[in-house]
Amino acid sequence: MTQLADYRHTMESCNHCGQCKWLLGPKTRGWRFAEICPIHAQFHFDAYSGQGLINIARELLEGRLQYEPGLINLIYSCTTCGACDVNCKSVRDMEVLETILAMRAKCVEDGQGPLPAHREMAERIEKNHNIYGHDHAKRQDWLTDEIKVSAESPVAYFVGCSASYMHTDIARNTARILNACGVDFTVLGGAEYCCGNPLWQTGQREAAARQVEHNLAVMRERGIKTVITSCAECFGALRNIYPRYSEPDFEVRHIAEVARDALREGYLNFQRPVDLKVTYHDPCHLGRCSEPYVPWQGEIRAFGLHVPPKQWRRGTNGVYDAPREVLRAIPGLELREMTRNEENAYCCGAGGGVRSAFPEQARETALDRIEEAASTGAAAVVSACPFCRSNLEDALTAEAQSMKYFDLTELITRAI
Amino acid sequence: MSLPKHIYEELEAVVGARYISDRPYILAALRQPLPNIATPPQSPEAVLLPGSTAEVQAIVRICNKYKIKYIAVISSLIVFAYPSEPGTIILQLKRMNRIEEINAEDRYAVIEPGVRHGQLRTELMHLGLSYPVASVGPGGSVLSNFACASGDNHNEYGSSRTNRYICGVEWVLPSGELLRVGSLATDSGWFCADGPGPSLRGLIKGFTGQWGGMGVITRIAIGLDHWRGPAEMPTEGRSPSYKIRLPRDCHRIHIFKFPDLGKLERAMVEVGKAEIGFSVMKFFNASAALLATESANDFWDLWNSGLFQRELARPLYVYLATQSPEEMAYEEAVLMDIIGETGGEPVDASVQRIYEDNMDFYILVGFLQRVLRLGGAWAPAKLSGDSIHHMFEVARAIPEFMTEFIDKGMILNAPDNFMITPGEYGHFAHIELLFLWDRGHPDWANIGMNFMRRSQETDIGHGYHSSSPPRTGAMLQRLGPLYSNCHVWAERIKQAFDPNNVSNPMP
Repeated sequence: MTQLADYRHTMESCNHCGQCKWLLGPKTRGWRFAEICPIHAQFHFDAYSGQGLINIARELLEGRLQYEPGLINLIYSCTTCGACDVNCKSVRDMEVLETILAMRAKCVEDGQGPLPAHREMAERIEKNHNIYGHDHAKRQDWLTDEIKVSAESPVAYFVGCSASYMHTDIARNTARILNACGVDFTVLGGAEYCCGNPLWQTGQREAAARQVEHNLAVMRERGIKTVITSCAECFGALRNIYPRYSEPDFEVRHIAEVARDALREGYLNFQRPVDLKVTYHDPCHLGRCSEPYVPWQGEIRAFGLHVPPKQWRRGTNGVYDAPREVLRAIPGLELREMTRNEENAYCCGAGGGVRSAFPEQARETALDRIEEAASTGAAAVVSACPFCRSNLEDALTAEAQSMKYFDLTELITRAI
Repeated sequence: MSLPKHIYEELEAVVGARYISDRPYILAALRQPLPNIATPPQSPEAVLLPGSTAEVQAIVRICNKYKIKYIAVISSLIVFAYPSEPGTIILQLKRMNRIEEINAEDRYAVIEPGVRHGQLRTELMHLGLSYPVASVGPGGSVLSNFACASGDNHNEYGSSRTNRYICGVEWVLPSGELLRVGSLATDSGWFCADGPGPSLRGLIKGFTGQWGGMGVITRIAIGLDHWRGPAEMPTEGRSPSYKIRLPRDCHRIHIFKFPDLGKLERAMVEVGKAEIGFSVMKFFNASAALLATESANDFWDLWNSGLFQRELARPLYVYLATQSPEEMAYEEAVLMDIIGETGGEPVDASVQRIYEDNMDFYILVGFLQRVLRLGGAWAPAKLSGDSIHHMFEVARAIPEFMTEFIDKGMILNAPDNFMITPGEYGHFAHIELLFLWDRGHPDWANIGMNFMRRSQETDIGHGYHSSSPPRTGAMLQRLGPLYSNCHVWAERIKQAFDPNNVSNPMP
């Protein structure tokens, strides 16, 4: 199921209950921070929500709605954070996010999407294999002599574009943590291409497929059995997008999980205190959107009976505990929770191509998230996604806020 | 038809360009093809997001000037939120979302239309306060449940229907004039709906009413109750398998099954006479199975096992919420005496555990939309209120019309999927019959209306007072003569208040 028409059951089932816009009741703590959809919170019209986008998808599919620039902008204003999807699936058997993504793919197929910023990104990836258009030959320049990397190992650190070029400290810290944990690992270097997630999220599926198939071939060729990431986007892609192209023959792990297990098993010890009150921001693609994709083909019979039974991705089994367990293990560090956390975390605003196409919108969402982080009394927000980092750090800088941002790997490295 | 440019510009001048749109893709979200309605949705001509009472007034005046019909909505869950004819605009009041005041001493809260149950209920928990949350889910508007819809709820026994909780009301009349009702009319505050000053609660929300067709309520005060639980939702786990348990010393749930409706009725009456318990009801059994499961397939596994048909065909749900363990011991002892005398027995422990593990059933009912999970069509019938005894009479007559629909495979085979909720410690009761049907049935487009018509005619034939409040012109015409010609009065009131017939036209 990948085409928009495959999601007709979802489009016909919605009854405008509003669950896709609001935090789930059991997680609600008061008036503030009760909205879950970042575009609905900003633009207010129902069209800016999972429910609205489903209606739009249905009318597009049935030819009742014509393309126009405002419509394309609306479709690409969604951060594809999946909050609507998880909330809807707590009560309904619907595929809200898949419908939105399939609609974007249809826009591309129809020659109406994506937006220019996304097209330019695709061109950069095609040419230089990274989202920034930087020199591919420099993809491994982050690597320093102190870091021990094996030429051959069945464990690969998939660095990703952002840590390779933009936030190289994340790459170095991740490698240091792996060294400290005693993990024998390799890097793919120039053989590593963009994970393809930014292309997939913007509906550019053919271009995404080229990245995915290349990376899969490299990993097969190198005999990789475990892939470790420090980037939530790459993690989400490897668990959720790659299985759509090929049966996965490797395990995907985030550095937070590796560190957590090493702590439990005694391979990693935190020696140095980090005296800091922090709150943890769950990246969408490490949390609710990271559950492995399980293909389903079948029939939806009367009264919603799925034959064969379908395994639903409801955000229940995202990576939530590992980063928290690691943070709590750091001496001196105090972890505080935001209202919207774990599977109900509020998006930072950067995802789905929004930061490149609508930077102001992305910043406003980031400020909303920062306000929530500040409301916990924390002095810093910690996360595990370089894209969340860029968006939250830029918003903090622009507003001259005293709150700091840390990547999880930085705090781990400080504590080792 | 789209709005003439000059009218659009006049409206735009009120709310600003950011908060009005007539673009087809924005309006697509409001052309909601409801799963239980066969006719294609009618598009509104524009949608506006007013931010204040003054803006609402200005919009309503423009609508009167140009005879533009308008519907004021928040979450748009029910059919009346959608245009029934061309030339209608939608006012979404979601930007008017402030909790203006929580008066813990005098126990009322003043809210705007966009405040949701999830927000207000959890905000009040911090203060040890509560109110009856209508069973619509956390995203439902508090104001519209109190002022415009039926407002029945799971805790009605220990509280009441929500219209009994309305205090002061700020009301933009269909003409655009601002009216303040109750104590608010004389600048005496929000505390009372019945004066000093005019009491017009019956017009805002009577039995027939206009379902919001009498202008726009822009602020209300609602009465508050004491909350006997924790300051925050004690949530464990992750979606969709949350556990919400309340301390057992003062919060306990008991569910009993009865061999016949007569014994169940007697138990319900006796519990009310003893004035014990916070929530008492006979709940739907298919809906209970939907709430207890996490997918349609899970539901079918449970339903096909027969457990809920066996254990919950005639159940009495009792939630005891007390101030102290001693009070709990007393209420439990009285309850067990009553159950012993009336022939009830505990349901299977696995069924009871479902509720003990998720007491949100009595707080926000956050999973309520699961009852719609089967993805097809649904509708409630009955929805009326009278004595407990009368509601049970109505229930006994349900098979007279429902069996045929089941036997012909038109609706889900769930003959016991009805609820009887006593209110105010048994001084009245409410009945609701929920039926589900699948859009794959060749006659699906007619099943809903045929079922409701048969339900109504059965009630009329018996002389029962249980038919749905008339929410359509046709139903009003049929039932009005049986209720002191209330349809004539309703029409006269509508004409007096809304001479241009622009406010929320009834389908």
